[in-house]
Amino acid sequence: MAIGTDRYASRGDTLLFVACVVLSIAALSLPDQWRDPLAQGLRQSVLAPFLFLQRQTELLAAARYRYDAVVAQRDSVALAATFLPELRSENARLRGLLGLTPRLGYGYVSAEILHQPEPTNPLSFVVSAGRREGVRPLSAVVSPEGLVGLVASVDEHTSVVLSWAHPEFRASAIATDGSVVGIAAPHGAEGPGVWLLELQGVLYRQQVPAGTVIVTSGLGGVFPRGIPIGVVIGPAGEEKGWGRTYLVRPAIHPAELSHVMVLTSARPAGSDLRNAFTVPADSALPREAPPR
Amino acid sequence: MRRTDRYRYPFMMTVLVLLQFTVRSRLGGDRIAPDFLLLALLIYTIRAEPGKSAAAGFMLGLLRDALTPASFGAGALAHTLVAFTSSWAKAVFFAEHVFVKGCLFFAGTWLRNVIVLLVSGRLQGSQVAWELLVWSPLQALTTALVGVVVLWFFRGWLSPRRSRASGALGVSA
Repeated sequence: MAIGTDRYASRGDTLLFVACVVLSIAALSLPDQWRDPLAQGLRQSVLAPFLFLQRQTELLAAARYRYDAVVAQRDSVALAATFLPELRSENARLRGLLGLTPRLGYGYVSAEILHQPEPTNPLSFVVSAGRREGVRPLSAVVSPEGLVGLVASVDEHTSVVLSWAHPEFRASAIATDGSVVGIAAPHGAEGPGVWLLELQGVLYRQQVPAGTVIVTSGLGGVFPRGIPIGVVIGPAGEEKGWGRTYLVRPAIHPAELSHVMVLTSARPAGSDLRNAFTVPADSALPREAPPR
Repeated sequence: MRRTDRYRYPFMMTVLVLLQFTVRSRLGGDRIAPDFLLLALLIYTIRAEPGKSAAAGFMLGLLRDALTPASFGAGALAHTLVAFTSSWAKAVFFAEHVFVKGCLFFAGTWLRNVIVLLVSGRLQGSQVAWELLVWSPLQALTTALVGVVVLWFFRGWLSPRRSRASGALGVSA
């Protein structure tokens, strides 16, 4: 069955075979200057896609062999990249501190927050500046955004800071235009407003629109006047008695900080630090011209 | 010829060519890995006339010579001779058994290597002996094994073409 032997007897087959043999011998005897361009032409034309395929296959195989190493390197890079936002944030904060420094002029100490893993860390924390650095109890602790808290106790090289979120924190507050006066205090330790402040003791007849910027008033001598506390976001529930209470969004959350500045020396009476901070825009009131 | 043969046979040949440029380097040493291109040529010679087989062998050999210019022309001559001889032998021996075809693949591969070695004259002495007695038989063996597997799995696709004049069973004598 299958193929017949008659196909072999074809004269055309024989001639074709002889021609191929002759061409092969001719190719064998080609001089180098003819042979190399011919081979190069074949490689760059007919064989080009196959060589490309082979090259890609080799690359793929090499990639497969290197896969584990690449994965390990990628994991390391990914781990390092997780710290990148923190580094950027810290860098921005340090730049802000450097910008705040010349505005404050004098009487401050830069300190690093020694964060602890406890959940109460935002309420009170330790900073790396103490008595040796000139820190005194009840010194104001600020960041470029505004008020952070006050120094509760001082050690040799460290200090304990009560942040504005601490239940015992109080600060005399005033609106930037001086129209509203009250006491800033933490809103509470429960519920969704745990990380908000209250502006207490506002006169009942006074309405404080949302967006009003609240700063320290300077009364009492603990905090200098003009340190931003936060922005009013609305009334805090039902009014009781003769006063109103408003919710205030703090200027800065303690957990976001890595560095702070401790104001170490008393300021002259009547000094205002509003221009030293990045005061948020007051959306309720027209901004007043900075005092000269 | 069945209608589907028109597509299956070129497909099978294309697969063999692609295997040559993709997986061959992963199948052990270069001297013992199966030669898929030569296998495709030998399978082609089973179906084709000797003249066409010789021409196909010459073209394939010339292309391979372009990849190894040191023996330019030797591959063309070797593939021409092997392809023509294979086609002629297939016609003369008249066998359709897979084992016979495996022997054809083995002999074709070994003969090709012998011709290339002798014509190119690049190797001498013990190198030629090692090539002819060790490496070439190993490569011929792997090529033959792959060829048998291909024929076994795709026997319906690669069966010899039957002459129209030979009737339904293809009996020509």
